[in-house]
Amino acid sequence: MINRDIAIIGFAETKIEFRSGRSVYDFAGEAMAGALAHAGIEKSEIDGMAVSSSFADAGNPFYGPILSAYLGLELDWCQVTDLGGASASGNIARAAAAIKAGLCETVLVIASDPQSSQNKQSIGAFRGEFQYPMGIMGPPGYFALISQRYDHQYGLDPKALGKLAVTQRNHALMNDLACEKLKKPITVDDYLASPMISDPIRMLDCVMVCDGASAFIVTSTERAKKMGAKKMVHPIGYGERVNYMETNQTPDITEGGHRAAGKRAFERAGMTPSDIKMFQPYDDFLIAIVMQLEHLGFCETGRGCQFVNERDMSYRGDLPLNTGGGQISAGQAGLAGGAHNLSEALRQLFGEAGSRQVKDHANAIVTGIGWIPYGRNWGSSTALILEAA
Amino acid sequence: MSIEFDPLAGQRPAPIPLNLTKPFWDGAQDKKLMLQYCTQSGKYQFYPRPVSVYTGGRDLEWREASGKGHVYSFSLSYKAPPPFKDVKPYIVASIELEEGVRILTNIVNCDPSTVRIDMPVRLTWVLAGTVNYPVFEPA
Repeated sequence: MINRDIAIIGFAETKIEFRSGRSVYDFAGEAMAGALAHAGIEKSEIDGMAVSSSFADAGNPFYGPILSAYLGLELDWCQVTDLGGASASGNIARAAAAIKAGLCETVLVIASDPQSSQNKQSIGAFRGEFQYPMGIMGPPGYFALISQRYDHQYGLDPKALGKLAVTQRNHALMNDLACEKLKKPITVDDYLASPMISDPIRMLDCVMVCDGASAFIVTSTERAKKMGAKKMVHPIGYGERVNYMETNQTPDITEGGHRAAGKRAFERAGMTPSDIKMFQPYDDFLIAIVMQLEHLGFCETGRGCQFVNERDMSYRGDLPLNTGGGQISAGQAGLAGGAHNLSEALRQLFGEAGSRQVKDHANAIVTGIGWIPYGRNWGSSTALILEAA
Repeated sequence: MSIEFDPLAGQRPAPIPLNLTKPFWDGAQDKKLMLQYCTQSGKYQFYPRPVSVYTGGRDLEWREASGKGHVYSFSLSYKAPPPFKDVKPYIVASIELEEGVRILTNIVNCDPSTVRIDMPVRLTWVLAGTVNYPVFEPA
């Protein structure tokens, strides 16, 4: 039976800015105030908080309690989640679990990270000894290795990637919150001509790190009704996988954890990919969209580019994709980047997407991606299926 | 095209080892590529871990690798991360060793336009700071 006993009753997203100079707390405050207003509830209703970790305040060992103090919150449950870009979708599931366990009743799920203004990350581990001396260019370098291997195994169609770039950019042009620096129209030829960073990864394959925040109000459906919530969205399916094929030292790096996370999310929602009305995936690189289409089962392995070429993925199309522009065209607010596509999915499901409103907005799948393991595909994968009430 | 032995020469930062990888860096001093071997499962692993990734146990010993492998994937890097400066395209690669593990490294002594997946490579050494660092060249 599909479980609809948890509800998201409001959300807010700040404008995505480049080097705003604003603090992680300032952005978080703007997002929380917006989400409370959107849900039409008082701050006193919030008794739980799940927050994504941030690059901007990385190293703060009391980030959750300090953030909640800045926000004037007294909590019965407080959690910091460090699944990177998978944290926001992961926190919807964590909030639901905490509510169902009776730990709290109404949770603020929040993600704030002005990474382009402040970046205190210090990851260490294997990087210091086995990565920095060989000069791999961070995430673009890793995604280049994945892309090269994908091309070797299946053939990678740069024009399909260009089509994704253009589709998302066109959506960003319609999004008032998208980063101003990115709001210029592009063509497939612009994509093909953009400079190689780490061949075969081009500049227009990549996200640009920005500043921003999002917040979401999660409670039980029962309580939402008591509070008089006019609109709500139910999370009906969720799957998560941290690390994939970890005991295989020579894994196929074109495979990833969304195979497992997607399967579980679809099973819980009682759905298959053909039931999905819109696709709001985490997009740090264009090829990640192609691979997620395959891993989630929208198409066969190795056929992602063909799928993209055959579909209209605009907001008016047959499988609307990242209708807010995605992170690649709207900007990535650091580790809060995984909240952009979640915000956009909710905006669509609430029917509040204005000129880019998807007509059939009954449901959406949102995904998250977090961390780059040594020589592998991405490490954390989440898949969240949302349904409009 | 002239081939530079190591396009990153003189710019590589010294590795920052964890205590558990000391045998790896001790081996590097003698230009020996040391890998962890799980005696329970009979399999190698890289990078070094506190336990066997196969069993979770600590039945690990260090064995010298043959230094032979092939290119699993690669990238030509045009934009170097700090501290590298003004470096020409260099080859970043995932090398699959005969022992059944992969290592992220560079291919040196190689024209970047000639590198291919499955290309056979062999171990050689460069300096990272003052420490020997394993890289590969066409076999």
